[in-house]
Amino acid sequence: MTASESLALITKTMNESRKDIVQRSGKYLLLWGILLTVFSLLVFSLWTATGQPDWNLLWFVMPIIGIIVSSILKRKEPVSLPDNAISRMIGGIWRSFGVFVVSTAIFTLLFAKFGHTLGAVAVAIGLTPTILLLFGMAETVSGIAVKNKAITVAGFLTGIGGLILYYLTASNCDGAEEILLFTLAGVVLAVTGLIVKHQNK
Amino acid sequence: MFPKLDPLLHSELRLAVMSILAGVESADFSFIKKQTDATSGNLSVQIDKLSAAGYISVEKGFKGKMPCTTCRITDAGRDAFDNYVKALREYLLQ
Repeated sequence: MTASESLALITKTMNESRKDIVQRSGKYLLLWGILLTVFSLLVFSLWTATGQPDWNLLWFVMPIIGIIVSSILKRKEPVSLPDNAISRMIGGIWRSFGVFVVSTAIFTLLFAKFGHTLGAVAVAIGLTPTILLLFGMAETVSGIAVKNKAITVAGFLTGIGGLILYYLTASNCDGAEEILLFTLAGVVLAVTGLIVKHQNK
Repeated sequence: MFPKLDPLLHSELRLAVMSILAGVESADFSFIKKQTDATSGNLSVQIDKLSAAGYISVEKGFKGKMPCTTCRITDAGRDAFDNYVKALREYLLQ
């Protein structure tokens, strides 16, 4: 092998494994995007139809389904893919997002249920805008990690745009309609997954 | 004067294996085989050579009921790989 052939081989091999690994991250972002879209529409529909906000408890089923489907998909992979710096970062970002959101939701519910003053504060801050901000942040950092401006901008627009939309519409719409902001976030996440998959084909 | 190229890395398959392992924490034998298009026998031989030189560590275990060989680049392997790439660049610059 000549020096240039060796360097070309190194570059080609590294690029191909990086693409295979990052493409897998896209598959899981797509899965969670679809789940978020489906669950937000489901909660919205049931809440609107029955007038019962208790349907929000369905949100806690979403991570369980997501984890089960993810593990099935992982087991079905013909070749066990390793992690690289980018896939580890994307996985870490979204796992942290999940932990933050579920913890915030649980503590807000608990404090509110037991009439603690902190519950009132948490409710006043609002769970929806908090989650939207966290989502936008996670999406933007993912965009930076995969070097994709569309994802970076989409994260900013979903986080900050969603927050503005929430404040503008909060007085005019009920809690059920707020849920539709998560449908928007779900679509953004699914599209992000498709972009990451396509970008690394 | 041209720097000496590491003869252990100056082989297509071993270099490909090291290039894969340089970018990941660890990789399964099946993943390396898929990425390099090598035969199992040839890949095993080259992995043994890299392992004997201390460039990679090899861990044999099981994933469920299936045997699984996991390879990981060592610090010595990373240094050798970096030096090899530096030497190649010097060749190309001269």
